[in-house]
Amino acid sequence: MTRPAGAGPASRDALAHAVGLRRSGWRWTILAAAALAAPLLLQGAFYHRVLALVVLAAISASAWNILGGYAGQISFGHAMFFGAGAYMPAFVYTHWHAAPALGLPLGVALSLAIAAVVGVPTFRLQGHYFSMATIAVAELIRILVSNWPLLGAAVGLQGPATARTVWDLTFRGSVTYYYLFLAVLAVLLGVTAWMERSRMGYYLRAIRAGERAARSLGVPARRYKLHALMLSAAFTAVAGSLYVVMIGFIDPDSGLGILISVEMVIVTALGGAGTLFGPLLGAAILIPLQQTANALFGGGGTGFTYIFYGGVIVLLCRFEPGGLLAIWHDRVAPAFRRRSASAVRHAA
Amino acid sequence: MLLEAQAVSKAFDGFLAVRGVNFEVAAGEIVGIIGPNGAGKSTLFNCLAGEASPTAGRVRFDGADVTTATPEAHARMGMARTFQIPATFTDVTILDNVMVGAFLRHPHAAEARAAATRVLDFAGLAGVAHLRAATLGTPGRKRLEIARALATEPRLLLLDEALAGLTPAEIQRAIELVREIHRRGVTLVIVEHVMEVILALAQRIIVLNHGEVIASGAPDAVVDLPEVVEAYLGRSLTPRGPAGAGAC
Amino acid sequence: MITAVQVLVGGLLLGAVYALFSSGLTLIWGMMNVVNFAHGDFVMAGMYLAFLAVVWLHAGPALFTLIAAALLFLFGVGVYYALIRRVMRGPIFAQLLSTFGLALLLRYTAFWIFSANFVTLPTTALTGTLRVGPIFVGAAQLVAGGVALLLTAGMHRLLTGTALGSQILAVAEDRQAAMLMGIRPDRMQALAWGLAAAAAGVAGALIATFYYISPTVGESLAIIAFVVVAFGGFGSVPGAMVAGILVGLIEATSAFYIGPVYKDVVVYALFVAILWVRPQGLMGERV
Repeated sequence: MTRPAGAGPASRDALAHAVGLRRSGWRWTILAAAALAAPLLLQGAFYHRVLALVVLAAISASAWNILGGYAGQISFGHAMFFGAGAYMPAFVYTHWHAAPALGLPLGVALSLAIAAVVGVPTFRLQGHYFSMATIAVAELIRILVSNWPLLGAAVGLQGPATARTVWDLTFRGSVTYYYLFLAVLAVLLGVTAWMERSRMGYYLRAIRAGERAARSLGVPARRYKLHALMLSAAFTAVAGSLYVVMIGFIDPDSGLGILISVEMVIVTALGGAGTLFGPLLGAAILIPLQQTANALFGGGGTGFTYIFYGGVIVLLCRFEPGGLLAIWHDRVAPAFRRRSASAVRHAA
Repeated sequence: MLLEAQAVSKAFDGFLAVRGVNFEVAAGEIVGIIGPNGAGKSTLFNCLAGEASPTAGRVRFDGADVTTATPEAHARMGMARTFQIPATFTDVTILDNVMVGAFLRHPHAAEARAAATRVLDFAGLAGVAHLRAATLGTPGRKRLEIARALATEPRLLLLDEALAGLTPAEIQRAIELVREIHRRGVTLVIVEHVMEVILALAQRIIVLNHGEVIASGAPDAVVDLPEVVEAYLGRSLTPRGPAGAGAC
Repeated sequence: MITAVQVLVGGLLLGAVYALFSSGLTLIWGMMNVVNFAHGDFVMAGMYLAFLAVVWLHAGPALFTLIAAALLFLFGVGVYYALIRRVMRGPIFAQLLSTFGLALLLRYTAFWIFSANFVTLPTTALTGTLRVGPIFVGAAQLVAGGVALLLTAGMHRLLTGTALGSQILAVAEDRQAAMLMGIRPDRMQALAWGLAAAAAGVAGALIATFYYISPTVGESLAIIAFVVVAFGGFGSVPGAMVAGILVGLIEATSAFYIGPVYKDVVVYALFVAILWVRPQGLMGERV
């Protein structure tokens, strides 16, 4: 990636920077419009369900992205936060006959507690310890829950069959859920975008790029990693709550299994970790693929899905860790730019 | 005294890398640390910078005891450092690299950006602000490291072989930059191998060998001391007439 | 009283196997700062290779263990050259993710080929129980434990007592210096991967004689390896040996007194406790 260093490149860059921002504003508006119109353009229960699941996956992945993509701390056990968020609404409904919505803040609180247990000791050590701990603690929780009658053991818990009030969050069809999820995603993206431009964003990226150097510049690495973890865990719990109110049911496999963690990782990594748009892109590609595969091949499809995921992850790591967005920015887009630049030169 | 090391020792698994080093830097000085490979310079450096904790002794910065303070605490208190192998954030732009340093004193992004831009101008990197740091060669990265450390507005800057591996022309530019930094009131401690740099910049040097200070004083006086020459395996350190150039 | 000893002996023997495959993990980690998240699945691969060797070749225990060791050695070296070597030069993000991706590949390929049902090894010369004094020990467990102890000690001896071993350790200690001494770091690192994978393969083949073989067995074995490595100390093979046996003992005791379902929970909780209280483990340096 070479750029001519000539007279006034700084001002040219600043201009390009500003234009880029303006252009990206337009892109997000178009995206938002498309997202709002989607259920009208794609009619039918199957499509609506897939749309809702895409947004849900985008929320989980975007939440994971804050910790894994921006801060570079890789969690392979995010399912524990998802599960905390998913079990709480079902729990309060089953045992207290309360509205599942009450479970949402409780799920967030529980996931923050779990996050503290995992993050506080490991963030003062090298990154591998955190990753290993996420696997161990997620499994530990899954085993405990699978054997705890209060939480339904292996059978799981259910939500309300019919809505008593709007706080039961039990709606017919997927469209209402779709818009609810979209609203939550918008909030999450807004928070992430704000974080990206603030000191926290710069510090997290520095920690990811080189924690030792970052600390020498005054970055309180441990504290910021914990902040990122908390934010990530909280939103993942919210995703879990949204999942359970839509599906109406939760069990250890669907709430706490490692495959849930895997999905968050692959969706983010494929699209582009550490970018705002990456998780959205990953979700938009992988979830429809996955749902179609399930519909066509039934359960046998799942074995191959994860071979595919494993293969994609290995290839990405080996060749382009920045995912599809990086492939676009670094390889595809410059080719277009070069062509249009030469066209301009020829025209002038 | 801005920086004091009192009887600092550091042991690794029984091996004493630094032994009872006493060392002082007054505000406004440029002090050099030299010594052959394995003399313990890096270890001492890391003890001063807070990356390693001495197994014995104290380190004081401006009167405060920083022996066990974290690197980030060091930075907050006004001590910054560079790394021997440049540790720039390669996938991040040059401006953003420096902004990370600037954020220490300017919590808001706009101010941090302005401060970082000023530092880039000072360091001669303004033209490449929006390029990724990975596009820089070694001299550029070393310069970026210095700029980034400067953005934390330190009172003391520790340079770890910041001028190694540069061509003579680049070395001259780097020496100028360091002099300019010093003129702006930053105290400097420089670990260096390149003698030309030490002789050009340091007002005072200490010589380490086997973890101990074997000599200290003005550069010209120290480099010809027999113990120092011997430490460097009998090579004469500065070019002189035929009489001095004999041993090799 | 006899039952307690019985439980402890079982734990000790299984612990020796844990020590065997965990020492490979700690060697790689100490050497190149890479945690092989697929290590449990290497063990799983060893188990299935043993199974196939019995089914297709009617191999006896010695042969199928050798086959597992050899094939996994080659696989480990291959993984190093094809993936790890490149990934190590890049961002840490990719380093952490790459072996996880490999784990998924291995696990779900096994799932696809063998389906979720577990298999067991057909009866071999190692079935049956021996009586050692007042205690009953499964022959398979005894052999597994004994062989594992020998091999782990052998690995330690290889590393500390031979020229090749010191070359490997030299690279682990200081890559640049090793290069200056004429040692090829790439070769040594590939060798380390091969050794670690082979150890995992052997461990798998050994356990296969008395364990249920299923594609997802790698998940829990990986965590056991993490616990052992953290407990023993980052990069310390002797630490892994001691810690492996301790973990085996703790696991067996928990299984007996609390229940088989919760034995994993105790070990995983132990891991968290280690991280909180003594992350450098028994023999590691202050992390």
